[in-house]
Amino acid sequence: MSTAAALNDGRHQPPAYVVTAGRVNAGRWLIVLATIALLALIMVQVLYVNGRTTLGFETWRPLLYAYIAWAAALSGGLLLSRGEAGERAMFVLPAVLFTVAVVIFPTLFGFYIASLDWNLSAFDGPKFAGLANLFELFADGSYWNALLNMVFYVLAVGAEYAIAFGLALLLNAEIRARKFFRVAFLLPFMLSPVAVSWMIGKSLLEYRFGPAATLARMLGWENPAFFASPWLARISIEMMDAWVSIPFIMILLLAGLQALPREVLEAAKVDGASSWQSFWRVTFPLMAPVSITALLIRIIFKLKLADIVINVTSGGPGGATDTVSSYIYRVYRDRSNVGYGTALAMFYLILIIIFLTVLLKATSRWRRVGGKA
Amino acid sequence: MRMEDYKRLIALQASRREFLRGAAGVASVAALGSTGVLGTMGSAFAEGLPAEEQALRKQILAIPGVGKGQPTDADFQKVGEMVLGATKANVKEGEFAGVELSFMGLNNQNLHNVLFRGFLKPWEQYTGAKISWIDLAQADYNARLQQSIATGTVDFDICEMGAPFEGDVCGKGLTSEMPDWVKKQIDMDDLVNYLKPPVGTWDGKQYRVTIDGDTHNFNFRTDVFADADLAKAWAADGGDKAGLTEWGVPKTWQQVQAVTKFLKGQKFKGNDVYGYLDPPKPWGGFGFYFLGSRATAYAKHPDDKAWLFDADTMKPRINNPAWVRAIQDVIDALPFEPPNQINADPNETGFSQFLGGTGSMVTWWGDIGSNAKTNDSSVVGDVCGFSILPGSDDVYNSKTGQWDKLPSGPNYAPNLAYLGWGVYVMARVDSDPKKQKAAWSAAAHLGGKDLAIWTAMYPSGFQCYRNSQHDIDEWVAAGYDKDFISNYLASQFDSYNHPNGAIEPRIPGIFQYYSAAEDILANIFAGKLKAQEGADQIAAAWEKLTDQIGRDNQIKLYKASLGM
Repeated sequence: MSTAAALNDGRHQPPAYVVTAGRVNAGRWLIVLATIALLALIMVQVLYVNGRTTLGFETWRPLLYAYIAWAAALSGGLLLSRGEAGERAMFVLPAVLFTVAVVIFPTLFGFYIASLDWNLSAFDGPKFAGLANLFELFADGSYWNALLNMVFYVLAVGAEYAIAFGLALLLNAEIRARKFFRVAFLLPFMLSPVAVSWMIGKSLLEYRFGPAATLARMLGWENPAFFASPWLARISIEMMDAWVSIPFIMILLLAGLQALPREVLEAAKVDGASSWQSFWRVTFPLMAPVSITALLIRIIFKLKLADIVINVTSGGPGGATDTVSSYIYRVYRDRSNVGYGTALAMFYLILIIIFLTVLLKATSRWRRVGGKA
Repeated sequence: MRMEDYKRLIALQASRREFLRGAAGVASVAALGSTGVLGTMGSAFAEGLPAEEQALRKQILAIPGVGKGQPTDADFQKVGEMVLGATKANVKEGEFAGVELSFMGLNNQNLHNVLFRGFLKPWEQYTGAKISWIDLAQADYNARLQQSIATGTVDFDICEMGAPFEGDVCGKGLTSEMPDWVKKQIDMDDLVNYLKPPVGTWDGKQYRVTIDGDTHNFNFRTDVFADADLAKAWAADGGDKAGLTEWGVPKTWQQVQAVTKFLKGQKFKGNDVYGYLDPPKPWGGFGFYFLGSRATAYAKHPDDKAWLFDADTMKPRINNPAWVRAIQDVIDALPFEPPNQINADPNETGFSQFLGGTGSMVTWWGDIGSNAKTNDSSVVGDVCGFSILPGSDDVYNSKTGQWDKLPSGPNYAPNLAYLGWGVYVMARVDSDPKKQKAAWSAAAHLGGKDLAIWTAMYPSGFQCYRNSQHDIDEWVAAGYDKDFISNYLASQFDSYNHPNGAIEPRIPGIFQYYSAAEDILANIFAGKLKAQEGADQIAAAWEKLTDQIGRDNQIKLYKASLGM
């Protein structure tokens, strides 16, 4: 490759990239040989792990090193064989290979684990079970009960959104101590859900001595047991989770409100719109892209709800507060059922992807309103 | 105690066995007596132990003193230092310099590892070894252990573990075999019979340093059952009394049910009073023991060692009439228990409710007794009584499918739940003799005879597990009320030595069975399933688990755990 740049009609002209046939061959051979070596190593290790050969590694770690070496060989091979195109590939290839290593491969490996009958206490270790875990899942009442609970928790995001919008409007208004309130309202979001579980679920709402229970008794509620009946327990859990998460929605909406074009609101005022009309006909539609984004992010977080449930109710009473994540946690943690637990998680992942894809499609019109987002 | 006396006592403790053998020992005892130390320990408690050991025990039991608040870390260290004698007899000062050990254990209620740290600090100072700690909550314990086993990432050298996990751990060759010098140091012959081998062993090899004895006992409020107003109301009550003609402590589960139903709506000293406290909320599998305690009197027939599974097939018995009756008892009792009871786990029933003054009956491990007088949050220290678990008027015979009435009266079957905690050394230390000796020395220090009496008397998470702990006079001398402690120790030792004890199955994955059951039981107790329907679901889940883990091996190990 020439290092000198040429001038052509006064414009900079990059040097012509000359890739000799020898380089092309060398690059291709490097890639082919590295790939063969990597595949051979994988095969040897698989055979070793399955007891078919005595040659192999004690752990899979050398395969990681082999992957890194293969990635280097692939990069080198592309540079040699493709010249400038190879150089351009170097801008993305490391990121692609890294993503393959830490996202794509673990996900595919997760599907493999999901196909195993693997109990940590089993004498025979993991066994391939095909779709057995999937069939078991369809007959698992606890899983479907948890999924049904998730419908409630996701629907409750609507109420969280309404409260967050109200708070965002309040903080966007010219009120006294606005900065203080912005920080104060954010505090619950800064707390760990585990701390919230103990401070609120296990202390404030404690049946015998909790201040909330004492207050409820003073107000005439004889037995203020917040987690004893299914619906009350579900609502109590939702309120705790909402308390932590509403500030997150609020801060997103507040950012959206502050970015609204003031002239539109002023024009509405000049045209004689009331406060309600101004909000409902102007602010709310203009906020649609931000609102949808905030709701989607919040729903994704909500679908992973587990910590508060695990700490406060363990999914009870009778599974009334169980979430899919808290159920998977029990299957995996308490019952060491790795194969089935992974199958539950993978199936849930697919459901979430489908749900969010449909949701994104359905809301695409609103997300484009005003902002061409 | 004066410092010079203390130092002499420690030095004496280091070689007490050899020292006692000769006349020189006699002379030394006489010399020590002249200092006044033995003068204070000349009482007749702990008979059978050498005089200087009695003295040492008396000294450590005064730290901080029963009724003088909960012990602190400084107390743990003081006790740990005073019982170092046995270590000093086997290990030279600084012998383990440079050795680093990792210890995995629990931190329940700020006990277990929290105490071990203090006990082992003087050991670390003396031997030169360093210990790093892995603290786990009870509910996280099983998962952490199983993951370490399955993924081959045992990252600890010493482990606090219960006998139910021996199948998972010792059975997979992950533990180090106990050297003979450790057996001598911890005086294994002193263990109560039910904790002797096969408990702590696998394939005939000894692996465990026992530090705890476990059984569920029955804890009740003596003041409630001696109350004249309640006695009057009971006499006037026209409901089913299950044979409890006069107001008093129930002796059978049928009576527990009757009393629980009666007490709902009654007042005691102006407050609401409740009867039995069930823990329906799952607790990482450990909650199942509490249903077990309700079931053993129904399900454990004196002519049959098995009670949880059929020993020849591993067919679950959880859905037989005995277990279903126990489940139904919980369903029937819950409406008469405190309003939020459905959301109570065992920690709540034992430590928040019963010790806090709510409820008049609870089953638990012996921790209730050892905490009643020494835990700062306990309000029942003077009104707490104990017995073995209630019996049943009839017992189910799995072989005939009939309910039998025993000629001897009600059937009693203590639930020997969990078989106590032990300290295990992991096999990964075996490649380094210095490290191996250090690990075993630390384990032996925690399993020492003299430390055992202290941990039984103060909140520690551990109960009696040695015959030498059954000396009432020693407890009384330490500050315990004689009636209280006689009653408490009887509930423990009568359970340990009961001929119809229900033995914990030491089979791999036992907590998976318990956890699967807990989930379905939670649905039953919440009213989503009938008792029989839910029990059938548990049985189906257990069958699946047995097949998954390996039925033939499970049968073999279940039989071995029952001594069949």
